[in-house]
This record gives sequence, structure tokens and C-alpha cells, in this order.
Amino acid sequence: MTIVAAFLVPGSPLPTLRPDNAPWAALVAGYKKAGRALAASKPDVLLIYSTQWIAVLDELWQTRARVAGVHVDENWYDYGDLPYDIPVDRALAEACVEGCRAIGIAAKGVDYDDFPIDSGTIVASGFLNAGAKVPIVIGANNLYHDFPTTAKIAAMAAQKIAAQNKRAAVIGIGGLSGTIFRNEIDLAADHVASEADDAWNRRMLGLFEKGSASEAERLSADYAKAARVDMGFKHFAWIMGALGGRFKGAEVHGYGPTYGAGAAVVEFKL
Amino acid sequence: MPKGEILAGFLAPHPPHLVYGENPPQNEARSEGGWEQLRWAYERARKSLDELKPDVLLVHSPHWMTQLGHHFLGVKKLSGKSVDPIFPNLFRYSFALEVDVALAEACCAKARDKGLVAKMMRNPNFRVDYGTITTLHMIRPQWDIPVVGISANNSPYYLSTQQGLDEMDLLGKATREAIEATGRRAVLLASNTLSHFHFHEEPALPEDMSREHPFDMTGYRWDMRMIELLRKGKTDEVFRVLPQFIDEAFAEVKSGAFTWMFAAMGYPQIPGELHGYGTVIGTGNAVMEWNLAKAAA
Ligand SMILES: [Fe+2]
Repeated sequence: MTIVAAFLVPGSPLPTLRPDNAPWAALVAGYKKAGRALAASKPDVLLIYSTQWIAVLDELWQTRARVAGVHVDENWYDYGDLPYDIPVDRALAEACVEGCRAIGIAAKGVDYDDFPIDSGTIVASGFLNAGAKVPIVIGANNLYHDFPTTAKIAAMAAQKIAAQNKRAAVIGIGGLSGTIFRNEIDLAADHVASEADDAWNRRMLGLFEKGSASEAERLSADYAKAARVDMGFKHFAWIMGALGGRFKGAEVHGYGPTYGAGAAVVEFKL
Repeated sequence: MPKGEILAGFLAPHPPHLVYGENPPQNEARSEGGWEQLRWAYERARKSLDELKPDVLLVHSPHWMTQLGHHFLGVKKLSGKSVDPIFPNLFRYSFALEVDVALAEACCAKARDKGLVAKMMRNPNFRVDYGTITTLHMIRPQWDIPVVGISANNSPYYLSTQQGLDEMDLLGKATREAIEATGRRAVLLASNTLSHFHFHEEPALPEDMSREHPFDMTGYRWDMRMIELLRKGKTDEVFRVLPQFIDEAFAEVKSGAFTWMFAAMGYPQIPGELHGYGTVIGTGNAVMEWNLAKAAA
């Protein structure tokens, strides 16, 4: 089996920066459970897509052997810094650049010191890949790529993983409903912005739990529109592409708000 | 303390290609030139700025996008290496800047007085966005004038163009009041491109100017129409058609810097001076100046 585990996780840095804030505790606990499940699957590489790594020209792939530094989130700088030091599986990343080109998608490797790594990649790696033991491959969120194109890129990446005989965990990093509070709130009273958003999120998570992969995929566009889902829910497209459109069920390890937006830690059953 | 004033406002777009084409020592990437028309436009703007001798440069940048209100750089000295996430091949720039924290705080307080959510950014490890840095380098490569850096709240995208630009109008008025109250002689920089449709692939040699032209005729026509209105000082007309320009040309002025600057200047009906126009990967960029000091003399 090439893809040995799959997770959908939040990219908001808030649970990392304030883990003891009660409304975010479920996400922190969920992330910890997911981290243990990931370790148990013994992956050689993490295949990551984060909605917050934005590209507009090509599909970009990180090809620096090691990305390290201190990141400060452009919105949540008050709550502290995000240090990171993560190894990259260059051979696989370079294969993905070539693989994109072979399916007609312009692509480039990014191999620069101090390239800004996004908050989502850093917080997910921090929770899921403690000690940065497992190298990662990260593909960017090209704003001009739609849901099917994103899935196609992930499917290509899964083929490259198979060709290199590796075990990979696929990770889609991004939020659920996207309505955020636009005024300062009492953090301890954070909640999903509306009942409608909450209902949509739970409906989608319910489909995951039931293993209704194709229904979840079909509903994604409506969900994205109705609940302003982070980047059209393309982080789910990434997971679906890598899994060949199938999963048997899912465990929602945690669900909660991130300043009004919805977020969940989901482990898919393969 | 004498009352402060806004000496001038510049439309000062931030394609990193301009820094790349210039080859300053701060930028790691090297080029054989390119985008000369725009770089020469900035040369003229630099000269004009030099004569104004401002105390401070205020810049509003779409690449520091914030969701919770309008933010101001609030750390006296910020430095680091800025790598453009979209064009890392072109822009890897080592910068060090000094912030006019007192003016930034005054702007923030005035913005709050007007009912806006406003915040001071106090984290010394904060990475200043590449839009701010490119605009500042292009207008003043000496980095010897303190700055106020202002984020672009995402309201024009998240709410609606109109609601968002209404906020930018208030932010501009707050900025003016803060400048007047603190006695600063200030220059405003609106870090915005005009038409913003762009090519999706870069030439193998990025500075291959045989590949550089407007993305399409619609955007070009709109740019010329807007520049012509601005050159004639028909500011009211510019703001009347602005929402349509934003929609039809995908104009980056949607992010608010242009409206912020004009609101701060009081929407003067004076001719803007065009220092130059050029495209960068197909997007339309104009370097323009509204010299209020000269207009008042
Ligand atoms: Fe821009």
C-alpha cells in the first residue's frame, strides 16, 4: 500500500499558539490523537497540501532539502512565533514537478533559503510530525486550480510515491466553514460563527464517518459555497486524489472553532 | 508643534520584477535588466520625492492581508530577508527599515475613533511583506526615511467592494488626521497595480521583454481610461467608475491602497503626473504623483 494514512487537519495557528484556550482544546487533543495514528502508520513521507501556501503561476513544490526558520503569522503575530525545521523528500518532490508537467500542468521546484513557509504547513507538521522525523513533500495551492485539477495533481503524486516504493501519509491542511469574526472576541467564548455553518460542517463530517466518499465529493461545491469553506475545500480534493476517490470511513478526532471558522482533525479509514 | 501635512501621494505599484531588473545589492537574484519604462518612471518619482524631503513615508500594501481589522507596523526597527512567495526566483531581498511608531500609533488610534478595528503589530520577528518592501525600495532605495506600514484588511474581498472601500476611505481620513496631529510632513504610497489579469507562465528568461505586453485589450483600455482621467484631475469621475474598473479589469486597487490615499488627500481634483506606465507579466502598472505641496504653492 502506498498511501498508508490520510488526514484532514486545520491550518489555523491558533490551537498551536494558545493550546490551553478551552474552545480550541478539542482540536489540540484531536491533533495529538492524529499524531499518534500517523506515527503508527510508519510513513516514509508526508504528502502535504496547505490552503495557505498560495501560488498563481505554476504548481510549486518545495525542493529545499530542509526548510527551517521562525515564521510569524501575518494575522496572529500577537500570540507568538512559529519556529520550524522540517526535512523535505527532494527526490519525490522533483518527481512531482516532472509528473505535473507530464499531465500538462506547469510546475516548478522552489529551492531557496528563507522561502516563506505557510502557517498551515508549520502547525500541522508540529502536531503530526513531532521532532520532524518524517520528510515531507508540499504542493502549493495554485489559485487557478479547481477541485478536479487539485485531485489530479494529488493522484499523480500518489503514482510517484508508488513508483519510488514509499509509504506515504497524505495530509490536507485547511479549514471547514470560513466565516471568521471581524471584531476582537473573547477567545474563551470562541464558537463556530453560525448554526448554519455548524450544521454544514457536521453534515460533511458525517459523510466522512459513513465512508460516503463520492457523496462528500459531490457535495463539496455546494458546501464550499454555502459555508464559505476555506479555498473551495481543495484540501479535501487533495486527499481524494491521493486516495483514488475512496475511503471506508473516518474518525473525527476533534472539531471546533478557530475565531468563528470551523475546523476539524479527521483521520480517514483506508 | 506646527500642523502636519501630506506633501504628496504616489501610485507606487510593487512588481518585484522592477527590483530584479535594477539589480540592487540588497537583492540576491541577478538580471540583465528589463521593465526599463517602469524603472525609469520610478527614477523620476525618486527625484520628485527627494525634493519633497518628507519626514515619513506611509505605505498601504495588499500583500499584508489581515482579516481582523487594519494593522500598523509598530516595531521601531524591522529587518530580514524578504523572499517573494510567488516570484522567489526574482526577489530575495535583505531589508532593514525604521518605523515611525508614534505616527503609526496615532493612525491606529484615529482609525479606532472612526469605528474601525485597528491594531498595532508589535512582534519584532514579523516578516514585512514584499509589496511594502518593493514599493519602498523603488521609491527610496536609500531606506533613510522612516515608514508607516499599513495592512490591507480583506473587507473588499470578504464583504463587498463597496463596503471594503468605504472602510479604506475612513482609514484614509484617519491617516490624514494623525499626520496633521503629529506635525509630520508625509508622503503617501499606494502600492497597487491597475489592471491585474496576468500570464500564467513565465518566460525562461523572466526579463525577456519580447514576451512582455498587456494581458488583454480590455485591461489596457481601462488603464488608459483611468490614467487619462487621473491626468486631467477628474478624481470624482475616477471614483465613480472605480467599481466597474475593478470588476472588468480585475484591478488590484480593489485591495484599498488607492482609495486610502485619495481619502487621506481629500480627493483632490488636481492633475496627477504620470511618471510612466508599463506591464509586468501582463498586468498594468502606472507610477503617478499628486504633488499637493506644488499644487498649493
Ligand atoms: Fe500585488
